[in-house]
Amino acid sequence: MHGFLLGLANGTSCLALCAPVLIPFLLSEGDNVRQNLVTLAKFLGGRLLGYLLFGLLAWAVGGLLLAAGGYQALLIGGTYVGLSLLLLVAAFRKKKPAHGACVLSDAQVRFRRWPALIPLGMGLMAGLKVCPPLLLAFTGAASSGTLGGSLLLFATFFLGTTLYFLPLPLLGAFTRMPDLRIVGRFAAVIVALYYLGSGILLLAGGVQL
Amino acid sequence: MTAQALTREDAPRMATWKALLLALPIIPVAASPVMSALSSGDLLAIIPGFAISILLIVVFFRMLVTGRTHRYRSALFISLAIAVPLHLIPQLFELYGTNMLTPEMTYAAKARFCPMTVGAVLLPAVLKGVVVFPGVIAEGVVWFFMWIGASLVIGRGWCSWGCVFGGWDEFFSRLRKKPVIKHVDRKWRFLPFAILLAIVLLSAITFHPIYCEWLCPFKVVSEFEAPTSLATTIALVIFPLTFLGLVVALPLLTKKRIQCALWCPFGALQSFFNKINIFELRIDLDKCSQCKRCLRECPTFSLDEGSLVSGKALMSCTRCGQCVDACPKGAMSYHIKGTRISVSPNTARLLFLYPAYILFCGFGAVVVSDAVWRVLRLITTGSMI
Amino acid sequence: MAKVKSVLGYSVAALCIPVMMVAVLGLRLPMAPALILGFVSATGLKHSANWTGGEVVQTLEHGTYRTEVHRPVFDALIGEHKKGFIQVAWRPPAALPARIDEEIDADADGQADFRIRLEPATKQASLTSYSPNVIELQGVYNLDETLAVRVRLKNPRR
Repeated sequence: MHGFLLGLANGTSCLALCAPVLIPFLLSEGDNVRQNLVTLAKFLGGRLLGYLLFGLLAWAVGGLLLAAGGYQALLIGGTYVGLSLLLLVAAFRKKKPAHGACVLSDAQVRFRRWPALIPLGMGLMAGLKVCPPLLLAFTGAASSGTLGGSLLLFATFFLGTTLYFLPLPLLGAFTRMPDLRIVGRFAAVIVALYYLGSGILLLAGGVQL
Repeated sequence: MTAQALTREDAPRMATWKALLLALPIIPVAASPVMSALSSGDLLAIIPGFAISILLIVVFFRMLVTGRTHRYRSALFISLAIAVPLHLIPQLFELYGTNMLTPEMTYAAKARFCPMTVGAVLLPAVLKGVVVFPGVIAEGVVWFFMWIGASLVIGRGWCSWGCVFGGWDEFFSRLRKKPVIKHVDRKWRFLPFAILLAIVLLSAITFHPIYCEWLCPFKVVSEFEAPTSLATTIALVIFPLTFLGLVVALPLLTKKRIQCALWCPFGALQSFFNKINIFELRIDLDKCSQCKRCLRECPTFSLDEGSLVSGKALMSCTRCGQCVDACPKGAMSYHIKGTRISVSPNTARLLFLYPAYILFCGFGAVVVSDAVWRVLRLITTGSMI
Repeated sequence: MAKVKSVLGYSVAALCIPVMMVAVLGLRLPMAPALILGFVSATGLKHSANWTGGEVVQTLEHGTYRTEVHRPVFDALIGEHKKGFIQVAWRPPAALPARIDEEIDADADGQADFRIRLEPATKQASLTSYSPNVIELQGVYNLDETLAVRVRLKNPRR
């Protein structure tokens, strides 16, 4: 319950930080509300994966990771660069309509499906980037006696924050306008370039913008 | 078609006496430069103030008599853009000794507001009551009310009658006789909306005016942050590059207002006002010969094949009047929503011209007058400040 | 109906003229400054503390001059940023000693978080940190009637 309530308290922060990435991405995909729900689920899944990964790592190595200050700039810079590259890929790829009676090999089918991992990857990067739950995972896991306890805290916290993301798929109601999809793609590129620049500057030595 | 055939058959010329009568209401507004100069008591300011006031009245009169809008508007608009750095930069030197914003100036909130900050400032101001631009708040409020009033009245006409920077790319777009790049992909028209979306989101997250700090090409002709860090130094490289590319080179090559049409997020914001604005540009499809001259002439890509079917300009129309003047059949006209097309187009044009001209005179004319005074000061005393 | 729309259209178009007059020229009327300042006051609009440094939360008197400690600024649209700064200012600049050496409690917990040594004449300053939340000295600035330093901080709540 404690984790869930904390998630409700911090969820707007998570949404605000993810919005510049999610909104252009959802607009650019041009999908309907139902498909956007699936995309959002993948994004959130990636986010949860990022938190659990850190929670696990924190339990394993304790506070050592956080104490190494330079590591933070490298991690955040690296995730900014990764996030921006994924956004650029999503913005520039052409979504092809599904083929009818085409017979494709297993490898070809798997290759064609890789764009489905983009929202998952973006969610993972977003989860590693700046979300408050990241530090909570850390302190919770470092101070918790058991791995199970800290992961449970995480999962409930994650659920609390996720509620704020639920209205986003409604953007799908507007994507009947093809022009909005073009706007979304351009916006995704601009946001990606911003994060790419920020990431490079952070990797170069923690320069503040 | 021959050149003769391409001239307008029925340009709405007005009787001189009528034009004089209709120009009278403009006189008090056009007198703002001379009123401003008289208060200073400086002869060097009063002379250009008088000259510009008279020029404004004559230009309005000529607009009415000839029935032409674009060439006169364009001349005034370009004058304003050139005047702004001649007015603003010396003023900044008088106040602070520099036109570079030092950290002290930003922390003391001494930056100058401009209407283009609206996109970045609005969301945090409405949601949290904080202004994320380091300028004098009262000045920002003045700009805000002027901007909202003007936008409700003439919509994106702000971009052709009020914007202090748009005249730069209009100037470069008019230099060549023919374009070198003749075709620009339609999808680029959506870039300003994307920039608007991105800067609204990023400015709200970072609490910084992202467009002003990174993307505005007109920092070159106004004030900019001093290069005190790697970020501000990089920005100082970006500004002249965007100015040279978007304001000089591309308008020269395409004969279009590329910065205004394909970049400016403020223009994108203005476009939404066109939806609620009472004025619009319409095509009388009964008169239209489908020559597509309006499509070629429009400097902001606001007419397309669909416009020739629907009879309407797109929401990005800046009401510059170029298509109206160019149409050989008189099919394009200013129009008031709710009224019948081609019934009293002159009345619609006049009712549009009044508020548009008031916007220019009330604000831009004083800037032009001050710029002329400073140039005269430079010639007579060797200094603009 | 068409006639009603037409009359309405022309009426609104005609009304645009006085609206534009007010928007552009009304701000030059004598009562305009009072109205604008009244609007700012009524709406409570203020600068982002990221620019102005936040409100003064502690004043330390030193006879001829005083030290003003502003609140730590981590302001964001929603929640707080992970990093921010604290502004410490001394006024008036003319009455400052040749050297200032002061310990500052940034988080009001009764314990000093950093020490500033500052020479006002040369604006040379050094920072000694006592807390892991203190990152670095951002800079020394001549502001309106004060000499100020900004020290970058980590947000202890994040």
